[in-house]
Amino acid sequence: MKKKGGAKIIALYWFVILMIVAGGIFAMVYSFYYHPYDVREIEGKIIINQIADCLSNQGELSSELFDEEGFSASYKNNFLSECHINFNVEESWNKEPQYYFKIDFYKSEDLENSVFNILKGSLELVASCEIQEEKEYKREVKCVEDNFFSFNGEDLYLIKILAIIKKTEKNVK
Amino acid sequence: MLNKKAQISEIMTWVVATIVILSILIVFIYASSLLAQKTKTIKAQDLRIDSEKEVNLLDTKTLIAYSSASEEKRGVIEGWGKENE
Repeated sequence: MKKKGGAKIIALYWFVILMIVAGGIFAMVYSFYYHPYDVREIEGKIIINQIADCLSNQGELSSELFDEEGFSASYKNNFLSECHINFNVEESWNKEPQYYFKIDFYKSEDLENSVFNILKGSLELVASCEIQEEKEYKREVKCVEDNFFSFNGEDLYLIKILAIIKKTEKNVK
Repeated sequence: MLNKKAQISEIMTWVVATIVILSILIVFIYASSLLAQKTKTIKAQDLRIDSEKEVNLLDTKTLIAYSSASEEKRGVIEGWGKENE
């Protein structure tokens, strides 16, 4: 009679352990898949590549970038449509601005002072980027920077592109 | 008395086994959470397609400009490259 009671307790114990192990496996899978993939750096790189491809082809800056007076102001104003870039995001993330980019043009004679720039997107994001100059914070915006050289006739230009992506809620948890 | 000792040792075995199972579970849950944080940030250099070396579109653009540049302009590009290495 006593033995039967012991067997029952052991069966119950195994059942509880089984439940705990199943719960543990569930917790492992949940904690892994709960974190979303953070693809903002790739997104920034894609924007930079799109901009670079639009600005320069075969080592030469696009002729549309210039008019008789130098850099074209109308090209600057219509830059997003000229380069087929849009800042559209899913409706749920639409409340706050999510993108910003800045393109600086430097002449090869003076690589410190830019001669022209194009800015698009929300300027608010720049401050978060400055905060991260020394240390990167996951929950802040992602800042991606790259540069390249290109010619306009005989003039050589250095083009620096900074892309900032917010989308923190979607990429970080 | 002997029966009681045997019972205690049997209970201890189960208690220790439970503690071991629970600790292993906790370690694995923590590890999976850490793994998710570390492996789910995809960087640009992770995207290498069929090549060990990363191909940067902007570097290619600079190389094209470099190939058609005069000696003086090549010096500017080289200088910039060295400064930003």
